[in-house]
Amino acid sequence: MLVLLFILFGALAVGCALAMVAQRNPLYSAISLIGVFISLACLYVTLAAPFIAAVQVIVYAGAIMVLVVFVIMLLNVEQEERRRTRLKFLVPTAIALAAVLIAEVAFILVSVQEFRVSPSGATSDIGLTQSIGPALFTKYLLPFEITSILLLMAIVGAMTLARRGGLLPAGARVIPGAQQFPLSFVDPKAQPDDLTLVEADSTEEAGRLLGVEKQSTDYADK
Amino acid sequence: MNADIALDIILKLVAITVAFVVVLLVVAYTVLAERRILGFIQGRLGPNRVGYGGMLQPFADLLKFILKEDIVPDKSTRFVYFLAPVIATMAALMTMIVYPFGPDTRIPFTSISIPLVITRFDVGLLYVLGVTSIGVYGIALAGWSSNNKYSLMGGLRSAAQMISYELALGLSLIGVIMLAGTLDLAQIVELQSGWHGFHWFIFFQPLGFIVYLIAAIAETNRVPFDLPEAETELVAGFHTEYSAMKFALFFLAEYINMFTVSVLATTLFLGGWNVPFAEDIFGRGTFLFGLVSAIGFLLKVIFFLFIYIWLRGTLPRFRFDQLMSFGWKILLPLALLSIFITATVVFLYPNL
Repeated sequence: MLVLLFILFGALAVGCALAMVAQRNPLYSAISLIGVFISLACLYVTLAAPFIAAVQVIVYAGAIMVLVVFVIMLLNVEQEERRRTRLKFLVPTAIALAAVLIAEVAFILVSVQEFRVSPSGATSDIGLTQSIGPALFTKYLLPFEITSILLLMAIVGAMTLARRGGLLPAGARVIPGAQQFPLSFVDPKAQPDDLTLVEADSTEEAGRLLGVEKQSTDYADK
Repeated sequence: MNADIALDIILKLVAITVAFVVVLLVVAYTVLAERRILGFIQGRLGPNRVGYGGMLQPFADLLKFILKEDIVPDKSTRFVYFLAPVIATMAALMTMIVYPFGPDTRIPFTSISIPLVITRFDVGLLYVLGVTSIGVYGIALAGWSSNNKYSLMGGLRSAAQMISYELALGLSLIGVIMLAGTLDLAQIVELQSGWHGFHWFIFFQPLGFIVYLIAAIAETNRVPFDLPEAETELVAGFHTEYSAMKFALFFLAEYINMFTVSVLATTLFLGGWNVPFAEDIFGRGTFLFGLVSAIGFLLKVIFFLFIYIWLRGTLPRFRFDQLMSFGWKILLPLALLSIFITATVVFLYPNL
């Protein structure tokens, strides 16, 4: 029974992974990746680790991939045409690395079969929430906290990158009708920290007032 | 495969089928109730022609949806276009299997006792949150694949909205998890059976309950948070290009999601199937106790569904920037405050 489920979800995971790499349309790749994550979650359930499975679905399939799909939709990436590979050395490198990976897996499989340890009866509660929680906050507290600091740094970094040369100064509000925004909002050549305020009813009107013809930030036209 | 496993699988399949049929019936009559109650609020009648008081209206609607022409936009992304409503409906229905609809109940005239829950899962609550978060794809992909500006905007809005409010929703449940010490929904309900069936977590988590209620409305894209389908701005939002049965699937998914969040609110905050004094009168495990508990559970869920409909008839729609700042600047800090208070109290008085 478990073997059947393993074959089913394992095949699904491998198939989705292959589809993810082979697809030219980024959204199809994203959907395939979601398929991989969900199949992996099902495999975790068959391995008696329901907590990891649930977290896998919530974090990867439910949050991160939603953001990826969101970005693909927002940029409206068209189907990428098949162009010749510029970095030709990457193909043999990839094949070599994959060979190393497969060799590692094979080595582990062989060594596991050589030193077979029969599992004791009490191993089935390792994946349960009540055994993960105490371990995470006592024995593995330091790695746990370091990981959270790493995530915090990523957030702060993203904020810093996004805020630099922001289109609107902090505290400015876009109100329908009359609007106030800095010069850089309508003029791409202006300095990002130039906070000269313009008052107008629309971006076009502000551009006319400033004598700037080219609109650079109006993505709705695309 | 031995006979025990086969029997188990058959029993589970029967239980799932029964639960799905019951849920779909409740959903069908929620739609009718919504139209009648909205009619009452707006001083008109609502559908009352098919059957007694319009009781057969859901089936007439279903027939209409099946018989209508199914129009597929010419330049849509076919595969994703067909996939999206399926994802939405499936993600909505899949959560049904972990909810405890009632206590263990003895079948009359036999000694067989059956639990009124399809499966007990160690991480039941996380399972619900995970499956619900998959539902976003249904709407987002529908918006993308329709090849329509309004659909795309609706899909983008809904993805942004659902990610934002999922945070507040998840955090508002942490308090209950800390009080219960488990993620198993059946066990959470059992823990609320003290005080003659009145030991509901809403009395310990009023703030968490309010945050959950608001975030849940936003999660299901209902008024006043129905920005993804705001008809004054986006025609019909993400389902602009959907017709006939595929539209019906989205419609269904929305109402099943409504039912799901109502069931979750009942289970976590209003004591699940615990009816005050029912255990003292009927005794645990009897058939009547099971029946009364299940009916009590259904009544609590209907109460939440009524709140939803009531809000729809009463409140105007948010603006999108208001929606975002409300979610991130008000609901999220409130949920964190609720966690902070709960954690402090649980730490200081662990035996409370």
